[in-house]
Amino acid sequence: MVGSNRTVLGNGIVHVVGDANVTPEQEKEVRRKLVEKALEALRSEREPS
Amino acid sequence: MERWSNAQHSDTPMLQYSNLKEFEMRIVHYLNQFFGGLGGEEKAGAPLEVREGAVGPGLLLEQLLGSNAKVVITLVCGDNYAVENQEAMIGSALEKIREAKPDLFVAGPCFQAGRYGMAAGALSSAVQKTLGLPAVTGMSEENPGVDLYRETLYIIDSGTNAAGMRDVLGKMSNLAAKLVSKAEIGLPAEEGYLTRGLIRDQFVEQTAAQRLVDMVLAKVKGEPFESEMVPTAFAPIPMPPALKDLSKAKVMLITDGGLVPKGNPDKIQGSAATRWGSYKIEGCDDLKAEDYEISHGGYDPQFVRQDPDRLVPLDAMRELEREGVIGKLHDEFISTSGLANPLSNTRRMGREMAERVKQLGIDAVILTST
Repeated sequence: MVGSNRTVLGNGIVHVVGDANVTPEQEKEVRRKLVEKALEALRSEREPS
Repeated sequence: MERWSNAQHSDTPMLQYSNLKEFEMRIVHYLNQFFGGLGGEEKAGAPLEVREGAVGPGLLLEQLLGSNAKVVITLVCGDNYAVENQEAMIGSALEKIREAKPDLFVAGPCFQAGRYGMAAGALSSAVQKTLGLPAVTGMSEENPGVDLYRETLYIIDSGTNAAGMRDVLGKMSNLAAKLVSKAEIGLPAEEGYLTRGLIRDQFVEQTAAQRLVDMVLAKVKGEPFESEMVPTAFAPIPMPPALKDLSKAKVMLITDGGLVPKGNPDKIQGSAATRWGSYKIEGCDDLKAEDYEISHGGYDPQFVRQDPDRLVPLDAMRELEREGVIGKLHDEFISTSGLANPLSNTRRMGREMAERVKQLGIDAVILTST
């Protein structure tokens, strides 16, 4: 995360944008939410660290 | 911290430069088109050329090194040519340098000029490695050549302003004279070179415990002290502005989680990777387990192996693309393996990726990292 203020916390190292403990449909939703958060970060101004 | 000296010379007898009365120090000097007097940016495509004797800053260098120093040839090359044809340029430069039988190779100083620094660094490093000659160059700390070659080379800190030429050349010639005479090289702050991040053994009077307590006491009293451990420094990177309109943006996916097509065509190493790859996802809505594998030794890959979208979220991005939330998803993703990698290496790869992303006209990147 060094020097980056557009960091979104993923869902664990083994599946950053996934979740092996839920149904495939739920997992897709998890992934979509994380990607939307990333897009939101890209759309908003951030202060340098 | 720098506890390093020119250990590569430690097995050779110490010679004092001043004792070598009959000695003529032969120098080959490398300059870009600007300092070599060819012209500015319009001459950046000029191929390597050889001049007899010293040119521009080389005249001052000769003067500073003393009466027995002589720049035998000066290599002048345009910055674009040097970077775009690096291998060929270095090959032919090495040939000219070998023929000139020099005792020393000097490049620059390059100040803030990035392409100049990259070329000077690459060539100096090749001269050291291939010809076994001492090499000195000069750059400002932010020059991209520094990241790539600071461990390999003595790079005098030139600052960014070319008006400091005399001072910089003075430091370069002092260090060069020591290298040629195989004298001991002092610490970076003493000699004016950029820290190389190397560690050397050194005898000291006090034990680590005594030094530590002294430092703590000095710190508590607000007195100056010098730490023996310097944390890795990251140059500040300006924050890129926000995207104004996502629906028009071209977005690219990058990962350092080591997702590669089956067979790992680019042979990306699972640890301390030196390479990265770019892989087509054109017309593909979902990454299939059977098409990919993981080259990464730092996490349990079974989940991503089952469904690569868990690392590279292609299915979600395609949905957002179809819905018009983003303009376009670029039709390839970049991948490497981010594990146990020296900073110099990751910085290089990051720079290469950034160049590619810029070239492709990508507006934003989502980088998933394990």
